[in-house]
Amino acid sequence: MSSPQIEIQIIAAVVAVACAIPGVFLVLRKMALISDAISHSILPGIVLGFFITQDLNSPLLIILAALSGVITVVLVERIQKTGLVKEDTAIGLVFPALFSIGVILIAKNANDVHLDVDAVLLGELAFAPFDRLIMSGVDMGPKSLWIMGVILLITITLLLLFFKELKVSTFDIGLSSALGFSPVVLHYGLMTISSITVVGAFEAVGAILVVALMIAPAATAYLLTSELKRMLFLSIFFGIFSAISGYWLAHWLDASIAGSISTMLGFVFLLVYLFAPSKGLISVMYRQKQQRTEVSLLTFLLHLNNHTEEEERHINHLREHINWQKIRANTVVDLALKNNMISVEKELVSLTEKGKNFTETALDYIITNKDEKIEHLKEDFFLFRG
Amino acid sequence: MNQKIAIQVDDLTVAYNYKPVLWDIDLIVPEGVLMAIVGPNGAGKSTLIKSILGIIDPIAGSVTIYDKPYAKQRKLVAYVPQKGSVDWDFPTTAIDVVMMGTYGSLGWIKRPGAKEKKASLEALEKVGMLAFKNRQISQLSGGQQQRVFLARALVQNASIYFMDEPFQGVDATTEIAIINILKELRKAGKTVVVVHHDLQTVPEYFDWVTFLNVKKIATGPVKDIFNDDNLTKTYGINYKVAVSK
Repeated sequence: MSSPQIEIQIIAAVVAVACAIPGVFLVLRKMALISDAISHSILPGIVLGFFITQDLNSPLLIILAALSGVITVVLVERIQKTGLVKEDTAIGLVFPALFSIGVILIAKNANDVHLDVDAVLLGELAFAPFDRLIMSGVDMGPKSLWIMGVILLITITLLLLFFKELKVSTFDIGLSSALGFSPVVLHYGLMTISSITVVGAFEAVGAILVVALMIAPAATAYLLTSELKRMLFLSIFFGIFSAISGYWLAHWLDASIAGSISTMLGFVFLLVYLFAPSKGLISVMYRQKQQRTEVSLLTFLLHLNNHTEEEERHINHLREHINWQKIRANTVVDLALKNNMISVEKELVSLTEKGKNFTETALDYIITNKDEKIEHLKEDFFLFRG
Repeated sequence: MNQKIAIQVDDLTVAYNYKPVLWDIDLIVPEGVLMAIVGPNGAGKSTLIKSILGIIDPIAGSVTIYDKPYAKQRKLVAYVPQKGSVDWDFPTTAIDVVMMGTYGSLGWIKRPGAKEKKASLEALEKVGMLAFKNRQISQLSGGQQQRVFLARALVQNASIYFMDEPFQGVDATTEIAIINILKELRKAGKTVVVVHHDLQTVPEYFDWVTFLNVKKIATGPVKDIFNDDNLTKTYGINYKVAVSK
């Protein structure tokens, strides 16, 4: 690996982590689309900042752009508060308007400035190592790494300081307010840091792909954990993993780095969506199948419980009587036998003691819907996991 | 009556988009009562609680908790919002939700530690949910979720408890468990204010009641004012409720 290659991977990883952290809270607050709005509407801020400073990495440009991000959020909320349109419509109204102001500003001054819409939308990570920070003649490394590094440091510091406050205001806005943790302050804090992150990241990965870096790792982590801290760590991990593997995918395909990183993000999400242990598609389908079998089992046990007559309990009669296909009937009988709930003697099926108890507990649960009674059954049966 | 005044509301008016939802409310809640707020849908019951707690800004009027504004008395007050007001798919566990109740006394930045954890476990035990402490909250039944919310209020160790429809969507066992805890709180001298829907249970559960329908209709002891006259005034139709004396 050459040193620009290493630098590009480090920048990509730092951008990924800086985006993943606010992304978790945006996803949990159901505000994923706001990141899309911010990433576009910072354009006029960037253009104005660039006119003033002639430097894409100037702090003033970052502040102006972040400001236009926050203005977007304020405008969206204002329009939404009128009650005339819903939030998604408000977002759809605001960001194209701001974005187009940026586009017009660029077009009007295209001859004077070195800034084009393509670069803003898609970014170019491959060029990042060429723009270096030189301090009194010493090469300190790529400028964008410094910018994103500082933004990441601020993000992590704020997260460590205000984790508790962000958690409570995201989960329960009413309690947060009643306890004195102003949801408004926390909301705008999060929006500001998201805007700053987007501004810092847009040069590297572009305004469109920065949305993927914010939302995809959080959405993926959400499928895997039921704890906020773990969700943050997993998001960071998925962000870094996609950044590095995306870089090598681009290397291999000789394609856009940002595009490859996003592809990896999508791929990782797809894998987790399919294979996640409890929320994944395959696991959900398996569970539904199990539940169907268990409902059949319960029906079967109830039938046995209700009938003492021999003819009702004959194994062949059962098949006809409950009117199931042979395979399903066999699965159910096997399942009941395996769990020692029935015994078969001379082709007559009867409930065992365990089977009787189980049937009665299950009945009791279905009638009273009391959860405590079936706690110990939850391990064995999907049916009772709600 | 020489009881202390726990909550005093003066001339409170709240409006959404210039339409008043609470109009000129005067209300005095004495210390140590278990009070129901009753009224039809849209009467402003939740709004009244939320404006007492500073969650909604009123357009006029004032609220005091033990003679001081709410912002200075936060630590004396615990709040249980409507169960439906939060996202139960949020990645967190029962114990973690209860710990949120300790955040208020911690203030900004400071993290909960061993002491807060211990208090939270005790609160979970009190509501019979200790066995579920590490359960993800979406895996709890409606009644269990409500108990976790109650534990979160208990851990605040407050003097005044506000609860917004704590019996909504819970089974009979949980309802009895909750009301017993509320009665225990009253016995310990706490003041409890509950937005309540089931008129039949008012005389059995509560000793104080406020009738609300945008305006305040009446407030006082259940045995004096919980009658057909006030019910009719509040709900607008002829109400006949068997009141056990």
